[in-house]
Amino acid sequence: MFKYSKTIKSIVALILVVSFHVSATDYQEISIKSGEFNRGKKASKEEIRGWHIDISPGHNLPAGKGTAADGEQLFDDQCASCHGSFGEGVGRNPVLAGGEGTLKDTSRPERTVGSYWPYASTLLDYTHRAMPFNAPQSLNWDDTWSIAAYVLYLNDVITDEDFVFNADSFAEIIMPNADGFISDQRPDTNNKRCMKDCKKPASIHIIPALLGYASGAEDSINDDKSTSADNTEHKIGKQIYNTHCKLCHANGVAGAPKIDDKATWGERLKSGMDGVYAHAINGFTGKFGVMPAKGGAPDLTEAEVKAAVDYMIKDLEQ
Amino acid sequence: MTDKKWVAEVNEKNQETKALSTKIPHQETQAPERRKFLKQAAALSTAVVSASAIAAENLPPNVPDWQKTLGSPVNTNPYGLPSKYEADVVRRRVPWLTADSIASVGFTPLAEINGIITPNGLAFERDHAGVPAIDPNQHRLMIHGLVKNPIILTMQDIKRFPTVSRIHFIECPANSAMEWKGPQVGRLQFTHGMTSCCEWTGVPLKYLLDEAGVKPEGKWLYAEGADAASMSRSIPMHKALDDTLVVFGQNGEALRPEQGYPLRLLTPGWEGNTSIKWLRRLEVTSEPSYQREETSKYTDLLNPKDPDKSNLIGKAYMFSWIMEAKSVITFPCPEKPLKKQGKYVMNGLAWTGSGKIKYVDISLDGGINWKQAELNGLVLDKCWTRFSLEFDWKGEELLIQSRATGEDGYVQPTYAQLRKARGVTSIYHNNAIHTWKINKSGEVESVQI
Ligand code: HEC
Ligand code: HEC
Repeated sequence: MFKYSKTIKSIVALILVVSFHVSATDYQEISIKSGEFNRGKKASKEEIRGWHIDISPGHNLPAGKGTAADGEQLFDDQCASCHGSFGEGVGRNPVLAGGEGTLKDTSRPERTVGSYWPYASTLLDYTHRAMPFNAPQSLNWDDTWSIAAYVLYLNDVITDEDFVFNADSFAEIIMPNADGFISDQRPDTNNKRCMKDCKKPASIHIIPALLGYASGAEDSINDDKSTSADNTEHKIGKQIYNTHCKLCHANGVAGAPKIDDKATWGERLKSGMDGVYAHAINGFTGKFGVMPAKGGAPDLTEAEVKAAVDYMIKDLEQ
Repeated sequence: MTDKKWVAEVNEKNQETKALSTKIPHQETQAPERRKFLKQAAALSTAVVSASAIAAENLPPNVPDWQKTLGSPVNTNPYGLPSKYEADVVRRRVPWLTADSIASVGFTPLAEINGIITPNGLAFERDHAGVPAIDPNQHRLMIHGLVKNPIILTMQDIKRFPTVSRIHFIECPANSAMEWKGPQVGRLQFTHGMTSCCEWTGVPLKYLLDEAGVKPEGKWLYAEGADAASMSRSIPMHKALDDTLVVFGQNGEALRPEQGYPLRLLTPGWEGNTSIKWLRRLEVTSEPSYQREETSKYTDLLNPKDPDKSNLIGKAYMFSWIMEAKSVITFPCPEKPLKKQGKYVMNGLAWTGSGKIKYVDISLDGGINWKQAELNGLVLDKCWTRFSLEFDWKGEELLIQSRATGEDGYVQPTYAQLRKARGVTSIYHNNAIHTWKINKSGEVESVQI
């Protein structure tokens, strides 16, 4: 095999050196022409009808009709358990109504069918194809029109509960945010490939993550549908407490204050939260024993240790 | 003295390559000890001590246990499984993120991925109504609408068209969505884990469309999945005829159920959601279909901080398909801290939906100064690109960032630039430069600056 002359070998070596400097690669195009493979069978009208479920503004509006008055009971029976009687959303299920005028809110705009969706056809389409969540494609078209009318009624888009919603009246419904969409304007940023002295050191302010390393992993947090941010933090704190602090703090091992010993905690909190946090983060030796830095888990971030302390204290207040 | 010619030949070759060997870029690999450590941190320190005592029995000069007994028989696991010591390398969910685990997302553990290919079992998963269990013999692809011959294809029909294999990333446009308002989740898996990169095998969509014969009025394609959400998106014909594939193979095997078994669309470089999984229907239309996933969701509500853009406040981008250039350092990261001072090779991943990655730059000081990183291995179109940079850690605090530039010249933006252009309410398309803070202890925190 190794019959190359020395010069060829060194050329090979040279090529090797060069190829370490990565060059971009392209795929080879396939040359086979398309068309006339004559695969598959012809789709019959009947077959297409069964699957052709998409509805868009001018396309495939279904037969049937309904009113918001008809839709109310259907919605209460089939939708309200997740979306609330008024479309306000239960747990983390989507809110379907309200939110008008909030799209300009810089932090919490509420995107609902009424405040955000540009077309009513999407509501018919989606309700029929995907809802109720646990029984998709179970609604007939009359019920779909009725429920859609009711959701629009909850959003004050339809105001007369006896308005007959069907393919004929569809065009009368103009969604409040119909003009709210523009085409993609990206790239809308214009960063430069600056390499040196790109900004002033003084301009750097560090914001730490709210939930640190151990956050979020489902292996340790129970699935719970609560929504409030407080509750989320509390949950993270509980998780960290259970993994890293409970060991000592549940039963007072090694002199640790027991989590439910109100008197002890009351005393400790008197000096202020900052000191207590600092003790938990940096560790300290007190009258009763040694509290290891971060409970002996150096991988925890400061925010996580604080969350655990918050949790330990929160429990006391109950 | 010897006729073992190969000895001389090898020696000569060794001599020639010696000079090179110091130059070969290599990647930092991390032993799984740390994960073990994380788990054990909860246990009392005595447990750690006894664990290391046991471990020492397998270290030199002792002969390890596994060399003194026979291993398990061939084909013990006919499909194959990762080592039991890799049990922590799994997709994870963030339970509070979504209403339930049916319409949810499993994040790729990016810190554990080597190279540019995501193993099928770790490819991120976003489902809107669970993963259907589809019998491939009963799966059909219907192509109809503005076509001359509406057709129905079986899986066998599809596999007999010309096929190609392409390595492409997929990224959910909601990747990093939790980070718009400020840093939330302190773990790479959750800040960036809604992307993965696989070799996909399938038929270029144009073969199938030509079979049906698209009429001139056919400007859009409506694509629909066979899951309980009948997931659906509108795709313009130019993308459908360009590099879009109808895919059945993933990294050499059939698609995984979570990735759309037996058939999915792949729209390289575009919002992951447009690569409709469990593909059952393609309808050629004259206009977009305005599905829920391109109106209510996957639109970008704007609240630009830029006073010149105040006219855009409350408006939203629709059909923002391309995933713009993005990168993240995957070592070090919160899951992979630095253990001691010394020389390291930091590395990470960069990608762009508009083509190839041209440069990745790394800053150690929060974006004041930058150094060009090396691009390692293949640099492919709409594909993860691995980059690395050597650095010497002396125990100081660092703010490390990576910044990708695409071949189109687009440079990954800062948070300030993104917020200036869009505010913090647009959920999708957060491709900002990310910052890890290396603390004096070597632990790594996710921060924003
Ligand atoms: C078992 C709970 C459940 C029930 C019952 C249910 N939904 Fe839903 N609904 C959901 C979930 C979960 C989603 C979000 C799915 C996703 O993330 O893709 C949703 C989404 C929606 C949306 C889209 C919201 C948005 O902002 O994009 C609409 C509209 C909707 N449901 C209407 C209905 C209607 C009408 C009914 C009754 C016919 C109904 N739902 C019944 C759980 C439910
Ligand atoms: C190895 C046992 C041990 C573990 C594990 C442990 N602690 Fe402690 N902790 C102690 C002891 C002992 C004290 C009391 C020291 C004293 O007051 O003398 C203490 C005290 C505290 C205090 C009171 C501080 C003050 O200012 O009085 C807080 C808060 C605290 N721990 C939080 C935590 C948190 C949070 C964790 C988990 C991340 C944790 N601890 C894990 C042993 C432990």
